Amino acid sequence: MSPSPSSTPLAIELRGVAKTFGSVPVCRDVDLAIAAGEFVTLLGPSGCGKTTTLNMVAGLEDCTSGDILLAGRRVNELSPVERDVAMVFQNYALYPHMTVAQNIGFTLRMRGTPRAEIDRRVKDVTTALELSHVVDRLPAQLSGGQQQRVAIGRAIVREPRIFLFDEPFSNLDAALRVKMRAEVKQLHRRLGVTSLFVTHDQEEAMSISDRIAVMNRGRVEQFGTPEEIYARPATRYVASFIGNPQIELLSGIVEAHEGGPVVRIGSELVRLASSLNTPAGRSVDIGVRPEHVRLGSGTLAGRVRLVQPVGPSSHVVIEWDGGSLIAAQPGFCRLQPGEPIRAEISAADVMVFDHASGVRLSQGMPRAN
Amino acid sequence: MSYAHHRRGGFSLRLLTGAGLVLFVIWSAAPILWLALSSVLEQRALIARPPDLSPQNLTLSNFITVIGSAAALGRGMLNSLIVALFATLASLALGAPAAYALARLSVPRASAIAFLVLATQMLPSIAIAIPLFLVISRLGLIDNLFSLGVVYLSFNLPIVIWILRNFFLGIPDGLEKAAAIDGAGVIGTFWHIVLPISLPPLGAAAVFAFVEAWNEFFFALILTRQSAQTVPLVIAAFAGQYQTVFGQMMAAALISVVPVILLAVLFRDWIVRGFADGMMKG
Amino acid sequence: MPSPATYEQRRQTAGLFLLAPSIVVLLAILGYPIVESLLLAFQKVQLAAGGIDRQFVGLANFQRLVADETFRRALLNTLYFAAAEVVLVVLIAFAIALLLNHPFGRAGLFRILLVVPWAIAPVANAVLWKWILNANYGVLNGLLQSLGIIDVYQVWLGTPVSALNFLLLVDVWKSVPFVALLLLAGLQRVPSVLYKAAYMDGASRLQTLMHVTLPSMRAAIAVAVVLQTIWSLRIFDLVFVLTRGGPADATVLLNFLAYRVTFNFLDIGYGAAIANVIFVMTILLAILYIRLVRPAGEAAR
Repeated sequence: MSPSPSSTPLAIELRGVAKTFGSVPVCRDVDLAIAAGEFVTLLGPSGCGKTTTLNMVAGLEDCTSGDILLAGRRVNELSPVERDVAMVFQNYALYPHMTVAQNIGFTLRMRGTPRAEIDRRVKDVTTALELSHVVDRLPAQLSGGQQQRVAIGRAIVREPRIFLFDEPFSNLDAALRVKMRAEVKQLHRRLGVTSLFVTHDQEEAMSISDRIAVMNRGRVEQFGTPEEIYARPATRYVASFIGNPQIELLSGIVEAHEGGPVVRIGSELVRLASSLNTPAGRSVDIGVRPEHVRLGSGTLAGRVRLVQPVGPSSHVVIEWDGGSLIAAQPGFCRLQPGEPIRAEISAADVMVFDHASGVRLSQGMPRAN
Repeated sequence: MSYAHHRRGGFSLRLLTGAGLVLFVIWSAAPILWLALSSVLEQRALIARPPDLSPQNLTLSNFITVIGSAAALGRGMLNSLIVALFATLASLALGAPAAYALARLSVPRASAIAFLVLATQMLPSIAIAIPLFLVISRLGLIDNLFSLGVVYLSFNLPIVIWILRNFFLGIPDGLEKAAAIDGAGVIGTFWHIVLPISLPPLGAAAVFAFVEAWNEFFFALILTRQSAQTVPLVIAAFAGQYQTVFGQMMAAALISVVPVILLAVLFRDWIVRGFADGMMKG
Repeated sequence: MPSPATYEQRRQTAGLFLLAPSIVVLLAILGYPIVESLLLAFQKVQLAAGGIDRQFVGLANFQRLVADETFRRALLNTLYFAAAEVVLVVLIAFAIALLLNHPFGRAGLFRILLVVPWAIAPVANAVLWKWILNANYGVLNGLLQSLGIIDVYQVWLGTPVSALNFLLLVDVWKSVPFVALLLLAGLQRVPSVLYKAAYMDGASRLQTLMHVTLPSMRAAIAVAVVLQTIWSLRIFDLVFVLTRGGPADATVLLNFLAYRVTFNFLDIGYGAAIANVIFVMTILLAILYIRLVRPAGEAAR
């Protein structure tokens, strides 16, 4: 479900939104345009402003400047109820003194929904979420996964225009997290409600989102599909935040060389795409995704420093005089530390970032500064 | 030696601890036991030297006499109950919302206000007693249960606010936000979410307020004359009047303390958590 | 709500509404009398024909204080009483807290024994001890005589030094449990990993007490000391019931003196001056308390 231009207004739009606590800026100049039905994730480390941004969309925090629009209407001065959003919280935030049914029905009760209708809708939701057998239990008597589903049930029971998720899976163990991820994705497919999801887990963001906004120090660094973010990161920050193992960044100076530009990293030369339009002498950082490093033959000569098998593949750290790289090899790797090895990198796979600004130098397109 | 074993200590430490605990029990319980025992012994047993504790001297006559003769005691108990209930309920009704506001509702300079509120509790009674007495007598409200209750309310309010504020500070953020998203207003959130999960500290605050009001003597002495006298005044008067009828004096004292002792014992865990912890936190 | 308001705005507005009633009550019932009490101390107040005649006399009441033998006596009594009580109460309470923190001390009975003396009305406590200390039939005399410690029954409240110290003992008995509760709460807050680490490091019990327990408890002990001092300055009921200040004003504490001057001698301005002395002492201690419990940094808010 990619954004397509249409006449219907955007479901969520942020225009130059900023937030400061006292004199500390938390969000700066955040612009986001989210189409109806999209699943968008705000991704970034803790303190990057992603939860504050979510809270501002929810109406739980005021923004210092800028505008927030929901379905084309400015909502800056509206309270959460009037914005008609539902939210799933970190640590669930279930009401500990209410049963499952009461937790889910609370929002309808607050809206003055007739008793019989509350019962019916709670029943529908608990049935759909496979919670029917625990409706009379208190949250403390539920498993982590069940609590998570109650939190979701509370959000979907009143059929809101927008779902907001604030790190909803951070308390679950790894296996359950993957399972809940799939459930949320299916739920989104079924209901088609615009969703804004916050996480610091890049893998979670990649697997669940239509588009991802990577945030850093209060700003959106890049807003794009998971593929764009991964393959064509706009900045050095995005490149290093996305991907596991983390991309290795190497600093060097661009040199003119026969057959195209190269960067000298210690004793070795790394070839850049010839379409890359950058003058010799420029300070750059280069990065290569581990799966793009082929071991066995090639122009790079180094030694194996470390081998880390992770199951489906092995991460091999190779080093040479003045530099190192991580290569991902399928299966279990038999290489021994200290062994000499050669590696090959296709020039097209080398990402190049301006050292000073961190902006990626795109291929074939000359850039200013 | 395992750590758990180490905690209990060697033989000498365990002996010392055991002996210390026995001493502690004697030190704490002996006066109370003597209070209870004196109240069920005949006068002749009590004035024997040393007191004669043989079982044939046990009697309930002290209680029967006290309850039958001293109408003041019954009235005092009733007055204390009314005043303490009023002071307790009113201080919770006013204090709980105030504590919530100070803990969570971004009131400007909330922690400074909270400390000022607590500081009022530390005022020496005598400093405010004189003007309060002058005002209340000018209003013609001396010997009036309501004026006494209002004064106690003002003593209890700071403690109630302090205990509850400390608890409210610890409520996770998400609950209130979830309630706001679910459509509850500020008052609705307080009523439907915050209060129901705060029953233990509310109980601790209530017990504390009740016990303090029930036991208060100084202001009751100054602000009452006859009809509004509370139980501590009755006991003090009784002790002055019948100071040689020891069994009856103890019976009266025992009757007056039993209600609050029961409360304190029943709710001891809440008191320990709510009050002792609350005084240590800022 | 007349105009639309955001969540944060609504919470702020509601906060002021919820707080206001308590503040009004406290200002009306405590704030006004405090100001009035300060004023009274500078006035000569006479009760005349149902009315009250007040006139400012400057520092006259305070000048009287300096020359007043009884006031000096009461001040010394109070200082001795407060100092001795704080030391005794905190030491005994700390010992009890250590005992109750030991695995042997976890039984529910011990906690009950801590809350019961707290709940007993000071007046009932005083009446009880008046009987225990009775010169003719008191159980203390009986007990000590049976044990051979005294030959003849003593009039414990009959001589000045003995009376003041028995007053002290009775109040210590009543005050210890609550302070023990405070200190026990402090003890249980010392992270157990610290004890485990000390054990792994081979520290002896005494070393652990000195280097782990006491430093972690410093704040709790400081709070207990200040609160107990404030409470000691308040003693009234006990004096009123047990000794009425006697013998020979040996047990007249400042609080009792202020009461007697005001309500028995009807010397209201002078009583207010004495009350103000207590007030200032308490305020200084209260400020100290607030400094101790207030986490650093909160002052900036």
